[in-house]
Amino acid sequence: MAAAVTADSLSKRYGDTVALDGVSLTVDTGEVFALVGPNGAGKTTLVRSLTGTTTLDSGSVSVLGTSPGDTDGEAIGLLPQSFRPPERLTARELLTYYGGLYDESRPVDDVLADVGLDAADDTWYTNLSGGQQRRVCVGITLVNDPDLLFLDEPTTGIDPAGRQSLWSLVSDLSASGTTVFLTTHYMEEAETLADRVALLDDGSVVESGPPATLVETYGGGTHLRVETSGGDGQLATLDIDATATEDGLRVSNVSPEDIGDVVGILDRHGVEYESLTWTEPSLEDVYLRLTGDEADDGETDAPAADAVASGSGQR
Amino acid sequence: MSSVLRVGSEARTAWCSFLRRRTAVFFTFGFPLILVAIFGVVVQTNPTGSGLFGHPTGYYVPGYLAIIVLFTPLTRIGSSIARYREGNRFEKLSTTPATPAEWLAAHTLVNVGIILLASAVVLGVLEFLTGWSVVLSPLLVPFVVFAVVMFCGLGAVLGRVADSQDGVVAASNAVALPLVFLSETFVAPEMLPAWFRPAVGLSPLTYFARGVRKVTYLQESGLSELFVLALLAAVFFGLGAYAIPQSG
Repeated sequence: MAAAVTADSLSKRYGDTVALDGVSLTVDTGEVFALVGPNGAGKTTLVRSLTGTTTLDSGSVSVLGTSPGDTDGEAIGLLPQSFRPPERLTARELLTYYGGLYDESRPVDDVLADVGLDAADDTWYTNLSGGQQRRVCVGITLVNDPDLLFLDEPTTGIDPAGRQSLWSLVSDLSASGTTVFLTTHYMEEAETLADRVALLDDGSVVESGPPATLVETYGGGTHLRVETSGGDGQLATLDIDATATEDGLRVSNVSPEDIGDVVGILDRHGVEYESLTWTEPSLEDVYLRLTGDEADDGETDAPAADAVASGSGQR
Repeated sequence: MSSVLRVGSEARTAWCSFLRRRTAVFFTFGFPLILVAIFGVVVQTNPTGSGLFGHPTGYYVPGYLAIIVLFTPLTRIGSSIARYREGNRFEKLSTTPATPAEWLAAHTLVNVGIILLASAVVLGVLEFLTGWSVVLSPLLVPFVVFAVVMFCGLGAVLGRVADSQDGVVAASNAVALPLVFLSETFVAPEMLPAWFRPAVGLSPLTYFARGVRKVTYLQESGLSELFVLALLAAVFFGLGAYAIPQSG
């Protein structure tokens, strides 16, 4: 499959701050590629490098077969981070305006229907809800029917319903053959939408690949989170593969069928618990593991009994 | 052709946005009218005496128009750039076929329309309030147009340098106020120190004031001033288009 985007060894500094540190990646035509990382990881700088709106210190970029500065503006769409169009125009006027910047644009009614704003088309942007405003912004990126779409944190700051609506829209775009380059700090978003994911930390890509492969490789096993109300002494006698957390226990590699056994062990040892939560490994686990941020989750690596026995458990 | 369409799309949007900001509309037209009311009616001219307003009313017509062609483009273009930067709109525009020069041309076009309208209103009010009969030369239009183009370019440069709308307003005032009083608008050259008078020629607004005075008061041609103004307009427009940022 031909590459829509190729980035090779991109580096960019702002003074002493390293925004990008040798980033290389490839986005295939027709795929949804998600760039995941926390605020300040370098996501927006990378998008700007790929769209030619910032200059790189070193490295090379190819977008649709040309350098970003020479890319056919008719073929790409960009939703910048924190984008705010003119506020005293209606959704219809905004789409008409941005459509007017291209030689060929889609009918405004079609775009309004795509983003679910048929009923609010004559409302000023400033009077729309946050979710509706974001949908207008996404609509603006679709007026030219782009082959390659850059969405920089498209769902930040909108409610869950609005997020689901945008996810559905991105899925439809992908199904119609549009290449989507998406940045987000929502792991669930990347896991749901992306064919492939790159994890960015401190300006470097720490790993990339299909979400399922990353989870399988780095996510670890399933685990059961036990929220307890008892003291440390209760944990010392447990004979299970568990780690202590701030609010209880995390029991690793527990299948749904094993949950009853764990409950039995807890009951036999008189451990009082308030809730049990079983989870499969996720992209978030992968990210935390690969970036070394697992300790922020309030967990220790030592088994519970050992941790309590040595007095180092975080309870 | 598509460039013309893009400029048209941007200009329609800018015009529509302007009309929907009622305070902007009010003060765009109200500010020069307040000046006319103060200087034309309250202070009044004193043709037989001396001092700041020692010439007939017609002498100061370039001054009233200079206020409009100077302040309005500087603040409006500068503020627009600040708003566009804050909303990351330039980053978006830079990935479309639209160019910075087209953006500036569209917003300049809107300013030309607004300022021609405001100029007509000011001249009408001046005649109504003072009884002075303004000589309407067809050359007034290109003088206003070139001056607006020039100061839109300068406004774009200020918008690039200033990092906020507040900064743009402060920078515009800092640039415009000295120009207004040192460009043969309200202060006649003979009132300035002899050593300073050559410096008046460095102000681009001087050529607007001299030319407008020639065609509306002295009834001379003013073509040489118009030529200089056209050159300055081209230079400043180019600088302004170059200054427009590509990203937030």
